Amino acid sequence: MAQNKHIQLKDLSKSYQEGDNNRSVLDELNLSIEEGEMIVLLGRSGSGKSTLLNLVSGIDKPDSGQVIIGGTDLTRLDEKDRTLFRRNNIGFVFQSFNLISTLTAQENVLLPLKLKGNANDDTAVQFLEEVGLGDRTDSYPDRLSGGEQQRVAIARALASEPMLILADEPTGNLDYETGRNILDILNDLVRKNGRTMIIATHDRDICKIADRVLELKGGTLHEVEHSTETVR
Amino acid sequence: MSNSNTNLLWLSSLRFLWKHPWHFALSILGVALGVSVVVSIDLSNNSAKKAFSLSTQAVTGKATHQIRGAAENLNEDVYRKIRLEGKIRKSAPVVEGYGRIDGLNRTFQILGVDPLAEGPFRDFASQQAGIELSEFISEKNTGLVAQAVAQELGVSVGDTLELSVGGRAYSLQLIGTIDASNDRSKRALENLLVVDISTAQQLFKMQGELSRIDLILPKNTEESVSIIQSMLPDGATINRSDSRSETVAQMTRAFEFNLQALSMLALLVGMFLIYNTMTFSVVQRRQLIGRLRALGTTKQEILTNILKEAALIGLIGTVIGIVSGYFLAQVLLKLVTQSINDLYFVLSVQELSIGVYPLAKATILGIGATLIASFWPAREASEAEVSTVLKRSSNESKIMERLWFLAGAGFCAGLIGVGILMIPGGGIAAGYSSLLFLIVGFSLMIPLLVVGMAHIFRPIFGKLNGLIGKMSVRGVVTELSRTSVAIAALVVAVAATVGVGIMVDSFRTTVVSWLETQLQADVYVQPPSAVSRKADAELDPKLVDLLKETEGVADYHSVRSVDVSTNFGTDNLVAIDQGASAQRTYQLKQEAPNFWQRYTDENIVMISEVYAYRNNVALGDSIFIRTEQGKAGFQVQAINFDYASDIGTITINRDVYNQYFDDEAISGLALYAVDGMEVDELVEKLRSIAEGMQEVFIRSNRGLREASIAIFDRTFTVTIVLRMLAMLVAFIGILSALMALQLERSKEHAVLRANGMTPGQLWNYVITQTGTMGIMAGILSIPLGILMAYILVYVINLRSFGWTLQFMISPGILLQAVGLAIIAALLAGIYPSLKMAQSNPADALRNE
Repeated sequence: MAQNKHIQLKDLSKSYQEGDNNRSVLDELNLSIEEGEMIVLLGRSGSGKSTLLNLVSGIDKPDSGQVIIGGTDLTRLDEKDRTLFRRNNIGFVFQSFNLISTLTAQENVLLPLKLKGNANDDTAVQFLEEVGLGDRTDSYPDRLSGGEQQRVAIARALASEPMLILADEPTGNLDYETGRNILDILNDLVRKNGRTMIIATHDRDICKIADRVLELKGGTLHEVEHSTETVR
Repeated sequence: MSNSNTNLLWLSSLRFLWKHPWHFALSILGVALGVSVVVSIDLSNNSAKKAFSLSTQAVTGKATHQIRGAAENLNEDVYRKIRLEGKIRKSAPVVEGYGRIDGLNRTFQILGVDPLAEGPFRDFASQQAGIELSEFISEKNTGLVAQAVAQELGVSVGDTLELSVGGRAYSLQLIGTIDASNDRSKRALENLLVVDISTAQQLFKMQGELSRIDLILPKNTEESVSIIQSMLPDGATINRSDSRSETVAQMTRAFEFNLQALSMLALLVGMFLIYNTMTFSVVQRRQLIGRLRALGTTKQEILTNILKEAALIGLIGTVIGIVSGYFLAQVLLKLVTQSINDLYFVLSVQELSIGVYPLAKATILGIGATLIASFWPAREASEAEVSTVLKRSSNESKIMERLWFLAGAGFCAGLIGVGILMIPGGGIAAGYSSLLFLIVGFSLMIPLLVVGMAHIFRPIFGKLNGLIGKMSVRGVVTELSRTSVAIAALVVAVAATVGVGIMVDSFRTTVVSWLETQLQADVYVQPPSAVSRKADAELDPKLVDLLKETEGVADYHSVRSVDVSTNFGTDNLVAIDQGASAQRTYQLKQEAPNFWQRYTDENIVMISEVYAYRNNVALGDSIFIRTEQGKAGFQVQAINFDYASDIGTITINRDVYNQYFDDEAISGLALYAVDGMEVDELVEKLRSIAEGMQEVFIRSNRGLREASIAIFDRTFTVTIVLRMLAMLVAFIGILSALMALQLERSKEHAVLRANGMTPGQLWNYVITQTGTMGIMAGILSIPLGILMAYILVYVINLRSFGWTLQFMISPGILLQAVGLAIIAALLAGIYPSLKMAQSNPADALRNE
């Protein structure tokens, strides 16, 4: 079974130098994820959730171990190939939205498509409509509310049909109501499009949409029992 | 990368520039100013060169060779001999000189020709051109000018022109006009007056003499040249006609090179500003770049995109620079032409000639300099780690970690600069390269120096301005990645103005002190000369006698200045009739034993240090001069300081000169007043005697000194204009860098306001911070400026001209530099603090 796993993290270690001290963030971490699975990654601030996402996306390199996504070991790729892999296979949803302030909502969604060479204005509009922003396609990020910006970010993450979506505290900057709303949209769209997703958060409420909940503690992952009330 | 992808990234860049119009405009202005200075210098230099070449071609015509005499003139018997005995039919006698026509404020070249011989040479002066021979060669003074000149003067054929030649007035009848066939000939003829050869001889007091003989020799000339040479009297030579224009062109080479180099310095200052603005623009977008990288944009795509932005800024700046450079060139052309006239030869340039080369050079330099200056910021942006790029503090800590490394790299660059200076035989270009390395080296040390200065400033500002004072200084260090680049750009810009200022001051002080020694007599008499710093006209002998014998004149000495042919080319030979008393006048750099005792009767000469440097001649070497007695060798037994000419002079005793040249003429006269005689009274007396005889300058010692300094100042006007432009570039740089920095910090200011800082306190904070940066930049610009001045004075000036200058640092220039930096810095703080004080802090605190 293990050889068919969609995503595999093997013996992943990462540490940072802080002055004279070496702080280990991930310590021989292992994880297997199946295609279409939705994983929620819990952990306190500073537990290494963002570091793990950076390693999975190829933004950063581990000190040791392997990151295998769809059969490609990212640790064997050079920086440029990791970037191209990310461009073609990974979608991001950040806590602080990270939209490109100089592009409109539609252009923000279009950007990953264009980077992949699949420029299609209709796809961008379609995804914006799916997140309920069909009427705000020409708006710049600074004209959108926090929830709207995050919806654009979700549309952007999904539009390029990535193999994996990584979401880092997607509701962290939003009020409760808006956060629930965003979560519903994210869950609906990811399920509908059959995408694999890892959500890093410290908000335990998010667990209810997960297939599996893992907690990052002391540099390793621990499976967490959670409510079966998943939103499918 | 697909096109559509490129378009979206490009669109994002364009919108970023559009959203930061101040920044965008000031970047363009930085490029435009640099390009403008380069274009204007190139256009004015090229126009002067073109005008010179056109007028040379016009007077040389189709001549392949020219025969010239040992001194300035040639006996006209030589022409008869060449034509009759040598049977060289394609030969034409020429008498030439300079004069002014009343009503036109420019010097004309007067060309005396024999229309019968002119046919093969100059179309416009030949009989075939329709010259009315009987009128042209009549006993009356007659002449021709171009039709455009006649129109300019408002005269027609038959009218009389009033001429002034060597201070003497003449009337000349216009007997025809030359119809220029095209624009090129029109420009070539716009300063030419064509007269009959005997008229010219009369105008220039050259009865029986010629300036040269023009020849057209068949292609296989070796044999003909040697036959002709054998027919010539001692001292006379036959040369290719273009060799003389080459010699003349060589004279101005260093002058032109230095102007170009100074303009490049302005471009370099511009490059630092571009570097500053591009770095700033990149730093401002670190998070945006991080987001793009996270989405899968490659480093190469980021790099290309930022370089495309730079190319756009470069292109717009270049276009504006070329257009403004054209207008600036109109002003500079007058200054450059004036300097050439003061220093080298007579040149009149009526219009700017625009060549493809200066425009192409400006385009390449403008866009190239912008791309080079932007490359490092662009590379740094693209190389940044995506995981850390979202946090600015990581960049600040990075620069803090690299302080010593940067300073070390700067020290190494400085050492390379010093190494280049040490290269034996390194030319002017090596001097400027070394300057570049030292500037870059110093700039790399600036972050460390800023941190060091902040340690000193913090307690002082704390005492003066409390917590805000401390915060302001601290802010400069915490934002070091931005502030150090801005300060470095300001330091370079201000230092350039300090360097050039000290150089001009040093030069001026040296010349003033030299003039004090050089001018020992009470009154000086000189005929007006076509070239201000040359004494190429002659005094009327009758006038000389009258002036010498005037009551109140105790003593006198005279000077004769001629151009002679030596083994180094055409050189200026000055014969002085002063005895051993000349040692009071001349400051010697080197001399052989008993020089002054021997120089009145031995074949020895004194050369100026510039001459020694240009021709690599040392004490004890010999100079061979073509004299009327043949080629004669003169040993160099003294080298003197002389700041009057950058070509150099050979000084000889008049008695020795008379042994070799049949020339009684006097070019200048120095008179000493009897004890108790008022000099001004004597001057008036002498002027009244000279009235009606010859227009001459009779000036007191003080008057001549003032006139000389005025000429000096005039020749440095171009440099001063360039310095002012560099100051303008610096001022705009300071303003743009600091203003952008403060505008960028609006969020931090909003936090301060939200925490209870009043608009007044915020104003105080911003102004104190920009002021601190201004003070730091001003102080740091002083050592770099002095270093630049040192290289300009002791390396570049020496390698260009060979002058020894006193290094003179005037406190005024240093204060001006610090003041410039501080005032601009304070001004830069006004707009951001006003904007912040008026706006709602909540807006700035909002997320994007």
